[in-house]
Amino acid sequence: MSKPKVATVWLEACAGCHMSFLDIDERIVDLLDKVELTSTPITDFKEIPKVDVGVISGALGNDEEVEIAEKMREQCKILIGWGDCAVFGGINSMRNFMKPEDVLREAYTDTVSTVNPEGVIPGENIPHLLEKAVPVDYKVKVDVYIPGCPPDADTILYVFEEILQGRIPKVPSDMMRYD
Amino acid sequence: MSEITLTIDGKECKGNAGDTILQVAQKHDIYIPTLCYLEGLSPMGSCRMCVVEVEGSNKLLTSCTTPAQDGMVVFSKTEKLFNYRKQILELLFAGRNHFCMFCSQSGDCELQRLAIEHGMDSVRYPYLYHDFDNDATSEHLQMDHNRCILCGRCIRVCAEKVGAHTLDLEQRGWNAKVISDLGEMLGNSETCVSCGACAQVCPTGTITLREFVYRGRRNDCDEVVESICPLCSMGCEIKGYVRTGSLARVEGSNLEGPDGGQLCHKGRWWLPESTERERVSVPMIREGSTFREASWEEALELAAGKLKAANSKGRAGAIVSGMSTDEELTMLNSVFKSSMNMEYMDCFSGNVLRGFKKGFKPFTEQGIRPFTAAHNILESDLVLTLEADPQEEAPVSASYVRVNTVRNGGKLANISTGGTPFKGITDVDLNIGSEDVLDLLTKLVEAVKTGKSETLENADAERLAIMLKDAEKPVIVLGGQLADDARKVTQAVNLAIVSGGTFDDGIATVPMVRSGNSLAALNTVVSDEPWVNEVDLDCLFVSSTGLVPETPESLEAMSMSRFCIIQTPYMVNPLVNMADVLLPAPAWYERSGHFCTLEGERRKINVLVPPKTELKGLSEIFGTITEKMGLPMNSSDVRPCENIYTSKVSPDKARTAVLEEV
Repeated sequence: MSKPKVATVWLEACAGCHMSFLDIDERIVDLLDKVELTSTPITDFKEIPKVDVGVISGALGNDEEVEIAEKMREQCKILIGWGDCAVFGGINSMRNFMKPEDVLREAYTDTVSTVNPEGVIPGENIPHLLEKAVPVDYKVKVDVYIPGCPPDADTILYVFEEILQGRIPKVPSDMMRYD
Repeated sequence: MSEITLTIDGKECKGNAGDTILQVAQKHDIYIPTLCYLEGLSPMGSCRMCVVEVEGSNKLLTSCTTPAQDGMVVFSKTEKLFNYRKQILELLFAGRNHFCMFCSQSGDCELQRLAIEHGMDSVRYPYLYHDFDNDATSEHLQMDHNRCILCGRCIRVCAEKVGAHTLDLEQRGWNAKVISDLGEMLGNSETCVSCGACAQVCPTGTITLREFVYRGRRNDCDEVVESICPLCSMGCEIKGYVRTGSLARVEGSNLEGPDGGQLCHKGRWWLPESTERERVSVPMIREGSTFREASWEEALELAAGKLKAANSKGRAGAIVSGMSTDEELTMLNSVFKSSMNMEYMDCFSGNVLRGFKKGFKPFTEQGIRPFTAAHNILESDLVLTLEADPQEEAPVSASYVRVNTVRNGGKLANISTGGTPFKGITDVDLNIGSEDVLDLLTKLVEAVKTGKSETLENADAERLAIMLKDAEKPVIVLGGQLADDARKVTQAVNLAIVSGGTFDDGIATVPMVRSGNSLAALNTVVSDEPWVNEVDLDCLFVSSTGLVPETPESLEAMSMSRFCIIQTPYMVNPLVNMADVLLPAPAWYERSGHFCTLEGERRKINVLVPPKTELKGLSEIFGTITEKMGLPMNSSDVRPCENIYTSKVSPDKARTAVLEEV
């Protein structure tokens, strides 16, 4: 039997969850014996192939990210949400207390460090902001949630190992964190 | 009290009639999760975390508010309950901004802890993203309503323990919001006393203390040490959170006690701030306009020489802090009085303490403690504040006065020559300007004693006399200003006696002595006659804790003295400028010993953080100094203050004192 395939994407989030994944250190060698990493920010393959396990880190904040999430859901059998952004919306939800126009104006013209004399707010050829940055399960079904900002490397590995054993795990309380 | 027996989770549990289910469960180490419940505050049952199933009832009952009944069969850990609780937590998370990664309380948060405990790995409900204000107007407190779960702990502690009633709830449902006063910003509140009790009890990151936010969470701290606050004689019990060798936060610890674990603005802010100030770390000797570092040996040699020379001419003096421990004060008494025979010793607040000492003397001589534990204010049906400002002098006692008046239905009267300490809740306010307080007290004593009030010219004074006569448990709060004339103190105690104000421990007065160990200082280092600033000294020894500014008179005495040996923990001016020999002292959190408190208990102050440099305490310093002076270290003949201030005769046998003898 061929090795199960895994794909990961990094949407509206920092690199923390993927860094935490790499923090499993040398155990990644054993893991790679058992699974095949396909498209990930680490391998830099852009197209998501058909995989067994898909992972999304990050919230959904614009229409491109929604599209990627939907694509991932389509391509994978089990979908994991990595980190607080994917699970709860995380730090991106800070902007949900403002309107998207205000967010853009704040970011592109109003912040003290910004030099933008013409007040140009990019918009036409880039993805549109959603009204709110939302958790992944607002748009697609998520099978396993791993909260944490970022989740511990051990928790990430634990979930992979459980799935390899044929189980759909829930993160136990003693491994769970929200910060 | 009749005993009841009920079954909780299959375990037979005994409790008392009137206990709630939660109380019985806690007595038997059965864990039921709670969120709005807090020991010491009245239960509210608003968060629904503590719901339990009771056989025969088809409703879930909140265990914090439901009285336990004999024969009840209670289940607290069923799957149904677990799921309900998890659902409640998810709803709370969806309701407002409970995103932990940008919250200063993450790790200390009770909401977070419960959610993790319930395995909440996602939230099944849509978030509301309702934008509430973040009220950052208060100097010390920050109130971010987006983090609020409306548990009402802050509202209850503010009303039930602090008596300020600053906080309450406006609106309903998901628009409900904790407000101060009638919708004022917290910083503009007229009733807030900035005690920070609301922040101490807040289970989430809603009300936070700026001072502590970046010093480390409770969970990050290595140690929690019990101690007391030395700032005033209430001696409130505290927990000091120590992180990597420094004090990260202090909190009140006496949750079940009458104060409910509150601290006042002084304890809450001054204590942690004091850990950040510049320290005197090595002994220093004056050289012209600056200091040079010296060894302990050299500095103490010089100090001993100067003290000895001055003392032989009767021109040596000492001023010590009322925040010194019993042990230090007893030792100083022995060195200065017994060994050196020194005439001039005093405390920074000597004049106030002397007034109380003399005014109390006729009663201590009867073997009766002339004052009572401060929390007895809560038992009183009439509190009279006498030239007092409790909110400034001993703030937690002010909480007692407010709670007693507003919640317990006690009456409140005031006599002062300026200002009303409790505006708006005072029943009789005798603001007598420059009139003679002693004269008024004398007339009141007479009026209460005889039941005739003709001598009282003022209708309010007459009313007060009647109230005092009718009161069952009057308590008189004696302000520091009263002690400028010892006869006023005596007459005030007389007034308590004739009004029938006695408790088991003593006569019903509460003296507002400021520094933490004033009661012991009064008994050891306070001289019989005032001298500070009036005599010409060759050498003055000063021991300061540096926590409160030195009085102008004592600074003047230092500048008048030819040679000053100053021991202080902090590089504070003008004190340090006065020194010829500057000795480092342990700060309050580096000392241990006992304090005699107004709460009627001898309480222990503990080392929270060990000193980082070589510091010598007072006893070590004076061990060396007396040795160098060639003096015997006589044992002190002072009796510990708890002996002096224990009633040997039942307080209700107290006789009034004649003023001429004071």
